[in-house]
Amino acid sequence: MMSWVKSVQYSGEDVFDEDADDINLQDKEWKYNMKKRVRDGYVDGIDHGKEASLQLGFNMGYREGAASTIAIGRLKGIISAIQCWCQLQRPDTPTSVTDLLQQVVKHEDSLMEAMRTALENPIPSVSDVSENMEDLGVGEVESGCCGGGGCSKGSDCCRKDSDMDLGPILPQKPSLSFALPTDPFTITGESLEQLLQCCMDIVSELGLPQELIWHLQKLKSATE
Amino acid sequence: MAHKSEDLFDCILMADDRFHGEGYREGFDEGTRQGMIDGRKHGASHGAKLSMEVSFYYGFGITWKCLLQNNTDVKSRKRLKALESLLGLIQKFPHEEPHYENLQEDMEKVRAKFRQVCSLLNVPTDFSDYVKTGGSGGISF
Repeated sequence: MMSWVKSVQYSGEDVFDEDADDINLQDKEWKYNMKKRVRDGYVDGIDHGKEASLQLGFNMGYREGAASTIAIGRLKGIISAIQCWCQLQRPDTPTSVTDLLQQVVKHEDSLMEAMRTALENPIPSVSDVSENMEDLGVGEVESGCCGGGGCSKGSDCCRKDSDMDLGPILPQKPSLSFALPTDPFTITGESLEQLLQCCMDIVSELGLPQELIWHLQKLKSATE
Repeated sequence: MAHKSEDLFDCILMADDRFHGEGYREGFDEGTRQGMIDGRKHGASHGAKLSMEVSFYYGFGITWKCLLQNNTDVKSRKRLKALESLLGLIQKFPHEEPHYENLQEDMEKVRAKFRQVCSLLNVPTDFSDYVKTGGSGGISF
């Protein structure tokens, strides 16, 4: 550094005649050092930037992820309970029940996979995800209460005094719409709506309490 | 002379800071972007799994409640009481709130209550095994 200072103080022809190489070297050294400073700054910046946003990102993702699995989780619980009941009360369990349970599990796996994929690529805004999926010609499935639409859709799913309390009022933030393949040739093709309908059919077939249909209907309305 | 070299030292330090600062700002933006992406990925996975589990217990609970509601025998009443307790715990538990400090604790309470409900209902073993391994890991965390 000091030699650099010294070289700047000189003025006049001497510099160019005798110290030309010297200046060149010092100039290169200076540039090298300054580039290093930029890199060091960049590394520090990245660390601090990450630190600041990691928790923020986590909280945002947590809410989105949690909202996205409510409906499929409840359906899984409902159909599992029905299967349980069949095993205890009947000589056999209808294949429709076991089949549906398998489909629900498949749907759950697809949902988690779609979510992972959606979040792998840096998509700046949530609305972009829906747009991209639409461009790909893939249908949108919104699972969970208020999945992107808020309670303005007319369902009273967020009312606390209803039996089918969907838990605490969900924040009115847009949730990620994880699109699932609706191509019938893919094994994961069943939409949540179809699965819910299937469950309602089973409840009717088995002569189970009407109240269950009501619960399922509420879940179905939330997805529409 | 002394004044002049002080200025020069200042120049060097300022240039040094300036270059570091430029790099820092760019890095900070990039780090913020990366942090948001990483954080969101982990948060979503975590939230989805937890919500999946709690919602499962809830769906299970309301179904059994519907099935046993009109029974008046002692066994059913005991089962219904446990089911109501389970549903109540879940309703009170803000499992979708990442800041909730008692998340782990409440989750353990819910799981314990669910296990109690299952044993009261004489849930067949193969079902329990299914639940544990089904889907994205089931209830065993």
